[in-house]
Amino acid sequence: MNSSSSPFQFAKLKTRQLMLLVLAAASPAVLMHTWFFGYGMLLNIALAAVIGLSSEAVCLWLQNKPIKVALSDYSALVTALLFAVTIPPGTAWWLIAMGMVFAIALVKHAYGGLGHNVFNPAMAGYLFLLLAFPLSMTAWHLPQAAVTPASDHSPLSWTGFIESLSFVFPIIQNQTIDIDGLAMATPLIEYKMAGQNAVLEAYREGLPLFSRSSGTGWELVNMAYLIGGLFLLSLRIISWHIPVAIIASVLMMSLLFYSDGGSSVNGTPYLHLFGSATMIGAFFIATDPVSAATSNPARIVYGIIIGCSIYGIRVWGSYLDSIAIAVLFANFCAPMLDHFFRPRIFGQVRWSPLRGQTSHE
Amino acid sequence: MAISWAKRACPVLGFGKRGVKLGAIKPPPHKLESLRSRIMPTPLPERLVLSLQQHQGDASIPCVEVGDKVLKFQAIAEANSESSLNLHAPTSGTILSVDQSLVFSDSMTPEACIVLECDGADNALKVSTTRDYRALEHEHLLQRIEEAGVCGMGGAGYPTALKLRHGISKNIDLLLINAAECEPYISCDEALLRERAKEVIQGAEIIQAACLANSCQLVIESNMNEAIDALRSEITGSSVQLKIVAPSYPAGDERQIVFAATGRETPSSGLPIDIGVVVVNAGTAAACLHAVSKGQPCISRVVTLAGSPLRTPKNFDVPIGTPISHLQTLCGMDEQSHQGTLAGGSLMGQPVLNLDLPIKKTSNCVVAMSAQEFPAQEPVLPCIRCGYCADACPAHLLPQQLLVFSKQQAVEALEDHGLFDCIECGACAYVCPSKIPLLQYYRSSKELMLLEAGVTARSSHWQQRFQYFQYRRKRVNQQRAEGKQSASDNSQQVEQEFSRDKAREEIAAAVARVKSKKSKNQAS
Ligand code: SF4
Ligand code: SF4
Repeated sequence: MNSSSSPFQFAKLKTRQLMLLVLAAASPAVLMHTWFFGYGMLLNIALAAVIGLSSEAVCLWLQNKPIKVALSDYSALVTALLFAVTIPPGTAWWLIAMGMVFAIALVKHAYGGLGHNVFNPAMAGYLFLLLAFPLSMTAWHLPQAAVTPASDHSPLSWTGFIESLSFVFPIIQNQTIDIDGLAMATPLIEYKMAGQNAVLEAYREGLPLFSRSSGTGWELVNMAYLIGGLFLLSLRIISWHIPVAIIASVLMMSLLFYSDGGSSVNGTPYLHLFGSATMIGAFFIATDPVSAATSNPARIVYGIIIGCSIYGIRVWGSYLDSIAIAVLFANFCAPMLDHFFRPRIFGQVRWSPLRGQTSHE
Repeated sequence: MAISWAKRACPVLGFGKRGVKLGAIKPPPHKLESLRSRIMPTPLPERLVLSLQQHQGDASIPCVEVGDKVLKFQAIAEANSESSLNLHAPTSGTILSVDQSLVFSDSMTPEACIVLECDGADNALKVSTTRDYRALEHEHLLQRIEEAGVCGMGGAGYPTALKLRHGISKNIDLLLINAAECEPYISCDEALLRERAKEVIQGAEIIQAACLANSCQLVIESNMNEAIDALRSEITGSSVQLKIVAPSYPAGDERQIVFAATGRETPSSGLPIDIGVVVVNAGTAAACLHAVSKGQPCISRVVTLAGSPLRTPKNFDVPIGTPISHLQTLCGMDEQSHQGTLAGGSLMGQPVLNLDLPIKKTSNCVVAMSAQEFPAQEPVLPCIRCGYCADACPAHLLPQQLLVFSKQQAVEALEDHGLFDCIECGACAYVCPSKIPLLQYYRSSKELMLLEAGVTARSSHWQQRFQYFQYRRKRVNQQRAEGKQSASDNSQQVEQEFSRDKAREEIAAAVARVKSKKSKNQAS
């Protein structure tokens, strides 16, 4: 009631709840990931959250801004979560710290804080690590149990936890683990690195290569992201334009360039959609509202740009999983898209994508 | 569980009934409270205060003097120009003053008012009734409507006869009666339709005949069940058709309702009459019926008294000029929880700073606010560009972009992004999760741009008021100089002196003076 003019009634949804709902929607996938691959990702998230919140607090303090209000919008937590699920589980703590500080202090606050950053902080942090430490960013350190399906203790056991912990904090390393021997990647990375056909074969036949139980670990995690994303969609926390455009264009590209057998196999559409980070990218990362395009027509173009570049970079580029680069590239285009692709104003006649609106004359 | 929690947390963004439709919002309704009782007659207050600016257009010119005894229905002020309106006494009594100045919340400029002391007898002037309005010529109907001082009762207050004349000149083919009352607290039209459906329908027929429209549709929201039933039983045999639209805010906006009923988009720089449609509010239709068949001028209207500090919120049949505080007392106001009052609904209304302000022909609702229903504003967070505002905007603008440009005062970008297509409905600010007062930014940008363009709509309005004040003061001084004690004996003469032509001449002279002064100032 402090305001002096209309409106006086407001919807109850606040930015904070919106961010919390995003966190909630991602949590089933995180739990499922933990179930299949051990505690690595949870440790990532916890560490990233702590570092993210404290670097945000420091940045706010340095700028003399109210700390409590800004921290309670939980946007730093969302950044931390997205960053933590993108980097490989079991990344060493100092890498996480570097990435998060880069994301929050440089990408977010140097541009003016929440709402002003041009680039998606989580993805910028990840890309920074990928460029600086390419090896660490492609090797997935997993507990013994998650890699060797035959072993009888699950990655969720105490030993599994200690193992995961020791990847993050190499200082508590115990002698029984040989870190290099446990590196493992997503199916797609595996697919690109190993002989393509062999892996494809294994994948098709559901051989227990990718997870401890059947071969469905990754798919289930991605399904969980899909369900979480649909949950957000149904509440209209995110709009459908970006995810649909991304998934459709990845699907189109992989169908277009798909050739069965032969040496030029580029991966099945299914592998592209569920064998890698496409789902989390489409529903959680690319939909980060601040750095995405903001009008609905522009969002569709934005999604198409991301989808096509995901596929292009994966298949023809030299980086492996390409969500981060694709999203950052699209971030770069977003202001221009917002300028050119606007909805037609009610009551105005012409709509042309290249020149926003007809003028009033 | 999570979903139900989320649904409760975000009424606009949930499923089904509460879901958001593109270009609209669905705020939780608050109409039931005031619809519990029937429309009540208002016991007369001691005094009625009638603004000379009941409507949009030129102010009326008083035709009574202090001390005059007037009867109910008697004209107390006359239209000063085409866009002006006659004003009549809502009851019998004595004129206490003719130039009390009040500042209303919708215009923020002082308006001259006539104060009428009610004598309680409610003696009425004899008015001529018409049995069969169907036999009347359309010009005759228009005249009746004009004489009765009917203006749009939905809020804008455009003189109805003038609107219909414009419609005729544009050869309109469709008349829409707007009963889509989309503001959460306002229920006066629904109450009116529920209890006096017949009057509204007959009024619609009269307006249709008056503006020569081929067809007439009464547009109503699908959740007004009782009103729809009442209409259905009365509508048989009339030329009016019922059109039911989905409830959403702002369905009752002129452009939106035309679109919902016909699928035609009103051009952004035009009016509905440009695409062959005239839109008239349901309350106005009832007033037109009274004007034509009963010969009664527009002296009262239905007003919703709403808000949780009121013990019994309800709709009243209010004589124009009744103070808001009088009505609120009748509803049993709890002063402790009362935190402020709004004129109009919760989404488009304005705060009332002075509860003694009177009801006008355009006042549809008064909301008393409590801290529970209208909690203090959340801290404003930065825009996260979520685009909810754009999804809610009925004009299909990009409020988040307009916000950026407003902050930068980027005038060209604002115009290019359609700032002047914004209908100030506030849907964007309603949904914004960061609680940014978007509409306030747009209002000040608009003002700034208009100022720069030299189109000071408000100031010209204000100038007119000022000139009228000057005129009044001169008259009073003259009278004093001539040693007149009471003006009532020679009111005839004064009235003659204060003829429209004379007033116009004087105002024109004053305008010329102001202009020449201005140009002199500029030159020097
Ligand atoms: S709803 Fe509010 S936070 Fe979201 S884009 Fe619009 S102005 Fe920004
Ligand atoms: S106030 Fe203006 S910008 Fe906001 S929703 Fe209404 S029309 Fe759109």
